[in-house]
Amino acid sequence: MQVGDESALEALYGRYGGLIFTLALRIVGDPELAREVLQDTFLRGWDGRDAYDSARGRVPGWLMGIARNRAIDLLRSRPHQARLREREPLGGLASEPVQPDATDFIMLRRAVVSALRGLPIAQRQAIELAYYGGHTQVEIARELGEPLGTIKSRTRQAMELLRAVLWPLIEPRREA
Amino acid sequence: MHPTENLAAHALGALEGPEGISVEAHVATCATCGSVVEQYRAVASALPMGLDPVAPPPEAWAAIRAKARQGRPPADGWAKAGVRPLWRRAMWPVLTTLVASLLVWNVVLQRELTRRAPGPAPGPEVEALSRRPGRLVILAGTGQPGASARLFAAVDGGGHLAISGLTPLPGERTYQLWFIRTGASTTVTGGTFRVNSRGLAWAKIIVPASLDEVRAIAVTEEPAQGSMAPTGTHLLEATAWR
Repeated sequence: MQVGDESALEALYGRYGGLIFTLALRIVGDPELAREVLQDTFLRGWDGRDAYDSARGRVPGWLMGIARNRAIDLLRSRPHQARLREREPLGGLASEPVQPDATDFIMLRRAVVSALRGLPIAQRQAIELAYYGGHTQVEIARELGEPLGTIKSRTRQAMELLRAVLWPLIEPRREA
Repeated sequence: MHPTENLAAHALGALEGPEGISVEAHVATCATCGSVVEQYRAVASALPMGLDPVAPPPEAWAAIRAKARQGRPPADGWAKAGVRPLWRRAMWPVLTTLVASLLVWNVVLQRELTRRAPGPAPGPEVEALSRRPGRLVILAGTGQPGASARLFAAVDGGGHLAISGLTPLPGERTYQLWFIRTGASTTVTGGTFRVNSRGLAWAKIIVPASLDEVRAIAVTEEPAQGSMAPTGTHLLEATAWR
């Protein structure tokens, strides 16, 4: 992709398009907006490919960061849709299998699912409101009616648990 | 003292205001905390793998390929000012004066900013700046993977920028902050800065009187003396803020 090869862009899309669409849909809660985020993410990646530095992280993390920022920007700029999303859980879209993943990708996915399931519900909730909702700690504390210090502790504990399990799997992939 | 309790929230972008700026400034100068935040961010970027996968609509790839072939304008999707032809002649003198004023202002800013030594600010200065009323803007690494910045814009025009994840540059190059305004092709600089060997920097900046007329804030790579208008890719960018 760094040399402008369109086939590289297509390969990246084939591998990560589903994941990025899933992330965008989880954040914005609307398939049309999620598609907008998906397209914008890959085009921004395409535009910024010359500046990509593999030493600073792998492509999926980079694309995921772009997608999350764009989705949260959209969420914040459309308060009505954000409220709608909070009232109504995502429905109407059945989960569909995306294209088959590479083995290491599947292993990491399983580890993430397992690690998230292993978190206490309150910690997982704090993480999800921050990561997918783009909420600040103060906003989360207000929304859950909990002291700010409690939310900070839950967030830190959850991230520590996730880091202990996932970082050993991510680190060699970053250095590869 | 390390802000251990706040590092996870910081990595998730869930801190704001003076607390967020204070943690950002600490992380920019502390290798231990910087490493922890980097690991938290990498872990966070894997979280979407825990979601039930949903396939994107089939037409999405066709749209992406078509736009990639066309080559998008650098400021993707930003609306260009629509000026009707009949107005153009009358607008020229006004625009010329405006541009000339902005160029002079840019030069003054450049001189002012280049006088200031880059590097981490002492804690009390960060706290004093952060206590002033203002707005916090998060710049995402749209053109530089893993990079981000937090810009604090005080209502009186002062401010500062905490950056992480940018690549250290050779001596003949520098990073430059830009405020891109609405309704005209005018772009003003907020200053130039360099990052240390770990990609971190803290810089004082000068902010336009009102961010309401700014439609985007961006960081580009420029020649060491700075540029009068951005010439590089937007490495960091923000198009929305509270």
